[in-house]
Amino acid sequence: MKHWTITMFVAALAAVTGAAQSLDDLNIQIHGYATQGFVYTTSNNWNSMNSSDGSPAWTEAVFNVTAQPEPKLRVGTQVRYFLMGSEFGNAITLDWASGDYKVNDKFGVRFGKVKTPNGLFNDIQDIDTAFLWSLLPQGNYPITSRTSILAHYGGVVYGKLPLGKQAGKLEYQLYFGERVLPAGDGFFVPIIEGGAEMPNGLTGPTSGGTLRWYTPLNGLLLGVAWDREDLTGKFEVPGVFNGENIDAPFKIPYFFGKYENSKWMFASEYSRVPADHKTMVTSDIIPQAPPVGTILHNVIDHRTWYAMTSYKLTEKFTAGIYYSSYFDVKAPRVTYLDSTNYPHYWYNRFQKDWALSARYDVNQYIYVKGEQHFIDGMNFGFLDADNNSLSPTSKQTILKIGVNF
Amino acid sequence: MKRLLIGFLTITVALAYAAHAQAQVIVIANPGVKAAEISKGDLKDIFTGAATSLPDGARVVPILLKAGTVHEEFLKAYIGKNDTTYRAGWRSLVFSGQASMPKSLDNDAAVVEFVAHNSGAIGYISSSSPHEGVKVLAVK
Repeated sequence: MKHWTITMFVAALAAVTGAAQSLDDLNIQIHGYATQGFVYTTSNNWNSMNSSDGSPAWTEAVFNVTAQPEPKLRVGTQVRYFLMGSEFGNAITLDWASGDYKVNDKFGVRFGKVKTPNGLFNDIQDIDTAFLWSLLPQGNYPITSRTSILAHYGGVVYGKLPLGKQAGKLEYQLYFGERVLPAGDGFFVPIIEGGAEMPNGLTGPTSGGTLRWYTPLNGLLLGVAWDREDLTGKFEVPGVFNGENIDAPFKIPYFFGKYENSKWMFASEYSRVPADHKTMVTSDIIPQAPPVGTILHNVIDHRTWYAMTSYKLTEKFTAGIYYSSYFDVKAPRVTYLDSTNYPHYWYNRFQKDWALSARYDVNQYIYVKGEQHFIDGMNFGFLDADNNSLSPTSKQTILKIGVNF
Repeated sequence: MKRLLIGFLTITVALAYAAHAQAQVIVIANPGVKAAEISKGDLKDIFTGAATSLPDGARVVPILLKAGTVHEEFLKAYIGKNDTTYRAGWRSLVFSGQASMPKSLDNDAAVVEFVAHNSGAIGYISSSSPHEGVKVLAVK
């Protein structure tokens, strides 16, 4: 799928450049943005940063080129430099590279490496300049897994259907293709901390869709989405056994709503990830290892939701608040006690977060943000490897400056 | 009574000023665009990237002013956003691969020139600016 989509993208690019008579005909646009964050946490270090002393190790820069030689066809690509702490990113990756043929408002198709349009914000969650928030609710949009869930290799079929003056419009986006979760993805951090490895990450088919109803009430949007992930990969416990991940497909539903007018914005979203992570032992290294053919189960049932609101106080200043909640109802209450009898995984079952945020737009190119989080639980970003002992609660302060063009 | 009268006059002047300010902006289109009028909703959809065609199916291309009073008034009257928020919305589309940024031109004369010579182009200018070679769309 990866090779096929890249071939399609190159073919579209060739068609575009061939059709154009001059560079002007290509309507080439170049855009980009860069952000620099500073993070301070009161107790736990966050995402491999030395954040309890204050850390500036959060940098992003994006470069985007698009061409539109004729109204129905557009091609483009975007690359990103992402640095978070010592463990995440510090590399340039391909965000997306796609061709887009829009027949009309009711039907279009995008192909290549494309943003995955599920949930309320998934396909724009990386665009810092679009949000008041420095950090979106982590249960729904975990930042260290962003690259993996943001885009896939394949296509999107999309369109917007008018339902009549009294009923608004219905937007559909259906996607299919292949998802790649590289070995360094944040999803694997708990596995690695537990002593196992997934050397090649997970790869497999993905499909799903989102329906957005733009209701007759101006500014009110209601939506549902469905995502299916059928991922496989190697699972190893070094020195014990090697195995193969044979998960049944994840089926993830989303429900969301958003209301926006010139001053106010309200949004909320709920999603659930029920799954049985299955690993089949394929070879034993020591006699005490589970016999070859044994299937190990790790059942999860993540429930995540958030509610947020913001208000534009002046033309340049916006403030807001959100509450987010993540809870794994299947996680054991206490997996192990450490040497001080501290029940580590009790607080790994959930994370609740109150966030207060403010943004000041200096002009249309430069903005600054400030955000304060009050976090109960430690499921997202608080790693054993970064902390001598983890505290069940944290306060997190984020300052950010961004530029875009 | 005097206070009431002053209050009434103040509101009347404010409403007259608001009506006058909104009336300063007109929406223009390439003469090839068949429609004679456009709804506020359709205008908003086209200028926010939510739609690329009119209800009759004709493809249109929004043209913006870079800055200025007319631009601010257009955004306030028809989009309901200020310039920063408005352009942030477009950036979401651009950085997620869903659209290209609309062309932004320096002044009314440049908008008229571009709209007059490009099929499907639709823009906005001050009603006091010359606009030969384009058609004016009534906003309903």
